[in-house]
Amino acid sequence: MSTTLPAYDPAGADLVAPRALSRRARGADAVFVHSARLVGASVLVITGGVAIFLGWQAFPTLQRYGWSFFTESQWQPEADVIGIAAVVVGTFAVATVAMTIAFPLALTTALYISEYAPARIKPTLVSLVDLMAAVPSVIYGLWAYILIMPYAAEFAVWMDRNFGWIPIFAVRGGDADSAIPLLSRYSFSAFCAGIAVAMMVMPMACAVMRQVFSQTPPGEREAALALGATRWGVIRAVVLPFGRGGIIGGTMLGLGRALGETIAVALILAPAFDVKFRVLEQGGGTVSALIANRFGDASPTQLSALLAAGLVLFLITLVINTLAAVVVNRSRSGAGVEA
Amino acid sequence: MTRRSARSRAHPSAHRRLGALAASLALVCYAAVTGAPSAAAAYATIEGTGSTWSELIVQQWIADVDANGMKVVYTGGGSTKGRKDFSQNSTDFAISEIPYQGTDESGQADTSNGRAFAYLPIVAGGTAFTYQLKVGNELVRNLRLSGETLAKIFTSKITSWSDPAITADNNGRQFPDKDIIPVYRSDGSGTTAQFTTWLDKSYPSIWRPFFGRSGLTSYYPPGGNRVGQSGSDQVMNTISGFAGDGMIGYVEYSYPVNKNYPVVKVLNRAGYYVEPTQYNVAVALTKARINMDKSNPDTYLTQVLDGVYSNADPRAYPVSSYSYMVIPTGASDPRMTTAKRQTLADFLYYSLCGGQTKAGPYGYSPLPLNLVQAGFDQIAQLKKADAAVDLTDRDVRSCNNPTFDGTNPAKNVLAQKAPAPPACDKQGEGPCGSDTGNNDPTGGDSGGNTGGATDPGTGASGGSGGPDGGGTDVGDLGAPGGDAPQVDPETGLTVGGTGTPTTSGGAIYANPTLVADRPADARTFGWVAAVELLALVLLPGLVVAALRRRRREGVA
Repeated sequence: MSTTLPAYDPAGADLVAPRALSRRARGADAVFVHSARLVGASVLVITGGVAIFLGWQAFPTLQRYGWSFFTESQWQPEADVIGIAAVVVGTFAVATVAMTIAFPLALTTALYISEYAPARIKPTLVSLVDLMAAVPSVIYGLWAYILIMPYAAEFAVWMDRNFGWIPIFAVRGGDADSAIPLLSRYSFSAFCAGIAVAMMVMPMACAVMRQVFSQTPPGEREAALALGATRWGVIRAVVLPFGRGGIIGGTMLGLGRALGETIAVALILAPAFDVKFRVLEQGGGTVSALIANRFGDASPTQLSALLAAGLVLFLITLVINTLAAVVVNRSRSGAGVEA
Repeated sequence: MTRRSARSRAHPSAHRRLGALAASLALVCYAAVTGAPSAAAAYATIEGTGSTWSELIVQQWIADVDANGMKVVYTGGGSTKGRKDFSQNSTDFAISEIPYQGTDESGQADTSNGRAFAYLPIVAGGTAFTYQLKVGNELVRNLRLSGETLAKIFTSKITSWSDPAITADNNGRQFPDKDIIPVYRSDGSGTTAQFTTWLDKSYPSIWRPFFGRSGLTSYYPPGGNRVGQSGSDQVMNTISGFAGDGMIGYVEYSYPVNKNYPVVKVLNRAGYYVEPTQYNVAVALTKARINMDKSNPDTYLTQVLDGVYSNADPRAYPVSSYSYMVIPTGASDPRMTTAKRQTLADFLYYSLCGGQTKAGPYGYSPLPLNLVQAGFDQIAQLKKADAAVDLTDRDVRSCNNPTFDGTNPAKNVLAQKAPAPPACDKQGEGPCGSDTGNNDPTGGDSGGNTGGATDPGTGASGGSGGPDGGGTDVGDLGAPGGDAPQVDPETGLTVGGTGTPTTSGGAIYANPTLVADRPADARTFGWVAAVELLALVLLPGLVVAALRRRRREGVA
């Protein structure tokens, strides 16, 4: 007995040929796909347009001042001296203060909401944090200016008195050890501005972190519990390692916003143009506050200089947000989070 | 003390009453003017930006005319912004302390960009130096400084309140050794321009080396321990704020008056320290040279203030000036319509006439009539540009201006009836114990010693013994006094004469010395406070946890 294979019948081959499949969208699908693609592309076009516009406007300034535009600290267009060294340093000073305050707040708030809060009040807490993000920044500015700054100045005096030996906490001419320290040296500082900015970036960072924590795989969580971990143990062993990408990404996003925050900083920070890292000391400047303060009465060439400063800020923010996106995407938890 | 507070309390209501009176008067005037049916013109909202120096009075005028259907929107932002917005056709008018400079300090164009315009003065006032200086916990309210001392303070040559120059200005009264923190305008400002013009003209040897060149600037040079703030209101808020101790800044007199905050009495050429009240400003501005050459619209009606700075009248406040409105006069102006021109004309008519009665109470000084007349000539250009604008019956004769004496329009009645400064405000006398910054025309001398102006000699000899302020009205005791010692009715002590001049009646000021606290103690208590705070937060939780554990063990 031999098995016979059915003979291949070439005559009928065309009857069983695979159906031609097209993945191209037709009709309504095509309209949807193309319009969606158009909308998606418009974001790129707008961002690129901003960059091109800023670069085009900034070109005369960069051509005129060259490298000194980046190394000069004074901004005195009336004396033909223009540079952004001081304001770039000031921008990072304010952002650093803001992130120092906002990061622990955002992390612990996110952990509490996702891990500890009773299910009943969880939605309320989430919407409250989101509400914080909805408060206009000028409100935070006034809040910090009127309500917080007197206490912040007192705190700054205390810091100077006890930690003045650390250069960034020193205040020149503040006279911290005297009976009446010069409060004016301790207010209108990057520290005061940083408090206001912290309140603005905290909800943003918190939202990203909370979202990541809530995506922790339940299997790993239960495994840790089964091994006898306490709730804190679960957080340390599972939630935080899993959410590391989200923590970093959320922080970077907050940083991006902190760098660009304008009106609250312009309200609080007394304009001063020296490169300084003493965050408790009166005076300073950020790129965005400089633009806001000087835009109103700028002549065409001054406007070009301001836009050049804006270009620098744009590039810095772009780099930081891109880094945030890379970090988030490379982490396990990053898949669900857009940076 | 009680008298002082009563006065300051009575003041605002008096303002309000005066304001109400003026408003009703203006309303009556206006009703009479607009009786003709043709004058029921359609109004349109007009917008302007510019000076914060004159913003307070302009906002009051805007509130006043609102009832008549005129909608005027004015936002400050600084004179530089005002001139720029006007040149870019984004506003209907601008207010600026200085005219278009042609080219500004850095060679940038500062022109109207070809937009036809005219200047007209709208109000006068004094650039006041307001400060916060506490001795003990008491706010000093009667600081006196010479122009030279002020120039040195703002150029960081004098940096302590205990500087001998300040002590000398206050006739030997020494202030504590605190740092002086000058507050300047960080935006492009007409107030800065006026102030630096004065510095440049009066103290070139101090200003020019500091500034690096001569002339005025709208942007004060930053640096030193100076604090920059944008807008007059921000400057005022910073100085009067919690951290303002030791600060001094320059704003229009109305800002400290509004906040009841002290201003510096500035030394004038005649040797008196005076406050920028409406009277002292009016007296000073009698020496202002106004360009009356109509042929050149770029300079017509602009001010030259050299004579003001060196005015030898003992009542003159040196840093006085006018503020200007820039109005569009072109027939084909892209922003203007008949309704807008009509609104602008009627708003200006109210401002230059009825509105001027409010200048004094608000801390400004009314314009003399010849400038009001010149202003009307400029308003007439609006009609020239657009024949449909109705200006009937709007002229100087119906103007209710407090400076007008009925015969000579160039005369300023205010300047004539301005009270002389009290003798205790003379250089080398006093200081007067009375407050500044409350818009008191007599310079705060409750005794009313007017001898100082007419005959400084007797005023000086009498004034040193004259107790003033301090509550009771004993000022006239000092007026006739020669060198004979007098008895103070309150204390029973001998005062004045050729004895120690600083112990005259009134308030007695100590020279406090600040004792530094012990940092070691503060640090210890700081840590204790921190530990206590921590305990306060943690203890309830720990107690609850302990209780729960015990209960669980009890159950088990």
